[in-house]
Amino acid sequence: MIARYKRELSVATALGLLLLVLAVAAPSFFGADNLRAIGVSNAPVLVAAIGMTLVILTRQIDISIGSQFSICGVVAGLLAKEGIPAPVVALATLALGALFGAVNGALVAGLRLPSIVVTLATLVTWRESLRWITEGETVRNLPETFLWLGMGRPAGQAFIVISSLVLLALVAWGLRMLPAGRAVYAVGSDAEAARLAGIRPRRVVFGVFVLMGVLAALAALLTAIQFRNAQTNEGAGLELKVIAAAVVGGVAISGGRGTLIGAFIGVLLLGAISPALVFLKAEPYWEKAVQGAIILIAVATDAINLRQRKDVGASLAAH
Amino acid sequence: MLAQALPHTDQPPWVRKVLLSHEGVLAVLLVAETVVFSFLGRNFWGAQNSGEMVRLSAEIGLLALAMTPVIVTGGIDLSVGSLMGLSAVLFGKLWRDAHLPIAVAALATLGIGALCGLLNATLITRLRIPPLIVTLGSFSLFRGLAEGITSATDNFTNFPERFLFLGQGYFFGGVPAQGPIFLAAAVAFWLLLHRTAVGRSLYAIGFSAEGARHAGIPVERRLGLVYLLSGLTASLAAIVYVSHNGQAKADAGTGYELRAITAVVLGGTSIFGGRGRILGTLLGLWAIVVLQQGLLLSDGPAELAGILVGVLLIVAIAANRLLRKGE
Amino acid sequence: MRILGLMLGAALLALVGCDKASGGGGPTASGKQITVAMMPKSKGNAYFIACKKGADEAAKELGVKLIWDGPTDPDPAGQNAIVDGWITRGVDVIAVAVENREGMSSVLKKARAKGIKVVTWDADTTADAREVFVNQATPDGIAKTLVDHAARLLGGKGEYAIITASLTAGNMVEWQKAIDKYNKEKFPDLKMVALRPCDDKQKQAFDEANNILNAHKTCKLLMAICSPAMPGAAEAVEQSGRTDVKVIGLGLPNDNKVFVKKGITEAVVLWKTADLGYLAVQAAVAVHKGTLKAGDKTFSGGRLQNLEFQGDNLLLGIPFTFDKTNIDGFDF
Repeated sequence: MIARYKRELSVATALGLLLLVLAVAAPSFFGADNLRAIGVSNAPVLVAAIGMTLVILTRQIDISIGSQFSICGVVAGLLAKEGIPAPVVALATLALGALFGAVNGALVAGLRLPSIVVTLATLVTWRESLRWITEGETVRNLPETFLWLGMGRPAGQAFIVISSLVLLALVAWGLRMLPAGRAVYAVGSDAEAARLAGIRPRRVVFGVFVLMGVLAALAALLTAIQFRNAQTNEGAGLELKVIAAAVVGGVAISGGRGTLIGAFIGVLLLGAISPALVFLKAEPYWEKAVQGAIILIAVATDAINLRQRKDVGASLAAH
Repeated sequence: MLAQALPHTDQPPWVRKVLLSHEGVLAVLLVAETVVFSFLGRNFWGAQNSGEMVRLSAEIGLLALAMTPVIVTGGIDLSVGSLMGLSAVLFGKLWRDAHLPIAVAALATLGIGALCGLLNATLITRLRIPPLIVTLGSFSLFRGLAEGITSATDNFTNFPERFLFLGQGYFFGGVPAQGPIFLAAAVAFWLLLHRTAVGRSLYAIGFSAEGARHAGIPVERRLGLVYLLSGLTASLAAIVYVSHNGQAKADAGTGYELRAITAVVLGGTSIFGGRGRILGTLLGLWAIVVLQQGLLLSDGPAELAGILVGVLLIVAIAANRLLRKGE
Repeated sequence: MRILGLMLGAALLALVGCDKASGGGGPTASGKQITVAMMPKSKGNAYFIACKKGADEAAKELGVKLIWDGPTDPDPAGQNAIVDGWITRGVDVIAVAVENREGMSSVLKKARAKGIKVVTWDADTTADAREVFVNQATPDGIAKTLVDHAARLLGGKGEYAIITASLTAGNMVEWQKAIDKYNKEKFPDLKMVALRPCDDKQKQAFDEANNILNAHKTCKLLMAICSPAMPGAAEAVEQSGRTDVKVIGLGLPNDNKVFVKKGITEAVVLWKTADLGYLAVQAAVAVHKGTLKAGDKTFSGGRLQNLEFQGDNLLLGIPFTFDKTNIDGFDF
């Protein structure tokens, strides 16, 4: 079993080392308030990472989720301000996310266009459309009934963290046990073989993008219910964060390999860097360099461990 | 040459071939944009604006030129924008704090850019890590180093006039000083990709790295070359950027990598590798720049440029796909 | 393919050759209407959107055409490119909030050389690149107001933390330095224990505030010097239940009314942003007409009368503090 989860174990070790350093140099990091804050803050990132993992498993990529996140957050805020009850707002937002995902999915699976280019185009188009329409205005003073979905803060925070973990468990189980889950891995490893085995690769890819859209919308929702204002640039940079977390967690960009557990640990590791630097009283100026170094070290050690001859030219091709 | 091209049949097939080729469609689009903005925009038509557009497109254009062979080999380089930032601040530091003469500082910066490109190349070829991942990591690392070195706030300015001429001056009353640099780079990359054996081998690698290896092509060396050139060009773009804006700061080049990739893909280079032309990249670049400048001069909303470019990108690759199916 | 290249080359030559633009002399606006081209540091920032309202008001009052454009995120190269475009297009006056002081001086000097007048507002460039600088408040004035509040709330000694926009933003750096200097001069027992960026994002400010609260238990004051950071920090304080921590900073009244009423945010420091935009346009038009020049001592424009100069800075006034007693009177 150790050999099978080698990647996940090395990431877990890295996380363990970081926590060890903190335990020695800044034990106050482990206070309940801080851990809760980190949990609530990273729960939406985890939700998005779940979606991105599935996308990457099928040998695709989606760099437009930042724009999807921003739009869904603003729309949720606007709907809530109109007095629409929270559950309806939630459903509408998720539906919007599904729509975005469907657009990406239709272009990638339907027209067979490369996902990196499609999502680059949708990233720009959606972001600029949002900016044009809102002129950058923040949506302010969201109603009390919408905040924390009306549950009040402590319950709302617990809900956010627990729901993201439950989602993680559910999707992880589904990937292992359900035929649809196995189809995801099959399509990512060898789409042609999957097709011959009766799987419809294009449907799987379409479905994965739709799910990504729904999860991006969910992440936006979980973020929006925490604050009284909804900003239009909330999602900027989310895709890189999430892709980095998945990759650091051992999800292979060439598809077919990787686990949600790995992505989860990746989210934790990358999410802990910012607070760790504050607790260690380090200068904020080196933070990006630390993140980049961690990404490179993680994938380098992964590659050294694997010692597999991958085709050097095939980086993100999905034929 | 024209006489050679004119065939003797009554329906010249080359016209259709040229016009229907990806570059042909882009050229038509470019002409259409020019016509539209000549009417809608103030002072769009003319030497002054043309010069300005060359100036505007020089930095991203350099990145796009170097990105083309990278994508042709089936790879990608997301780190070029961040490398611009790192190169810019190192250039500033070498000149201001190490008191090197500007020319020496510039050469050293180019060297550093090449080394960073080589770092990417080593991780990609020796450790077999996909280029997307490696350059995603160096994207963070390079920007992070730039911010760390300058504590993010340090800003190098007051460069000598002679140096600033490079980015802000004009030759013969009209041609921006960056023009010849960009032209030289365009010619150089065109020669490399389309007129040398090395260039041809890049297409082979993009088509199938294994096949190329079996055919005796030194795949690792070739990949090393394209990423090294990418890094070198990014630092050249950084020097042009610094002379253009008169300042060197850690945030230089933010977002430029995606803009360069957009120009390259719009120009018809396939993201899967094995196909693409420098001329296409140039046309893609100008289609975008003309659109942005035209909207600005027409007092149009800047966001519209972004939206149109996104839509254009999808239309371009979809059309390309459909056309290819028909062949 | 070569044919294509030739055709393109010919088209380009035609484009360059037919120079209909008046190359040398400064292009003037068509007809009689004056064109004022105004640029914020970034279009998406609520603060600048608030300034625009005042600018629109002045433009309407004076009957000038106002072009409002700028990069979506603070970006000096983007600002340069847009100003270059305006020079090509031909405008009468340019009024710009400069992201990077030296970064814009060349292009603004170029504009002046072509006969376009230049004023700066909110953030300045080098003095030789513009006529006047419409300043809402000096960095020293801002620093003094903020640090005085901090000292008042902490009793002259204690710890506070600063949340800024991005570590590279020009005026943020200036304000930080002024705060630091004034702090050390006047209140040696008052210490800043952390400085964190929020990249103009409210959620990031929230996260950073949480980090600070958890890591520095003795820090009793959060000073948020960029407008999205104020509500973010206040949310963090509210959610953590730490009633001993207060928030002050630079922000918009509307963003902070809720927190001021709850007693979490003690002081919101700003100036009347609409007035800043209004004054910038008034000054721009006056400069174009020649009624305002560098070296003047006072200026009156529209509903703002008898404003004073400090050197070549046209001052809007001193920073204004919004608090529980007056915040309801403002809507921006």
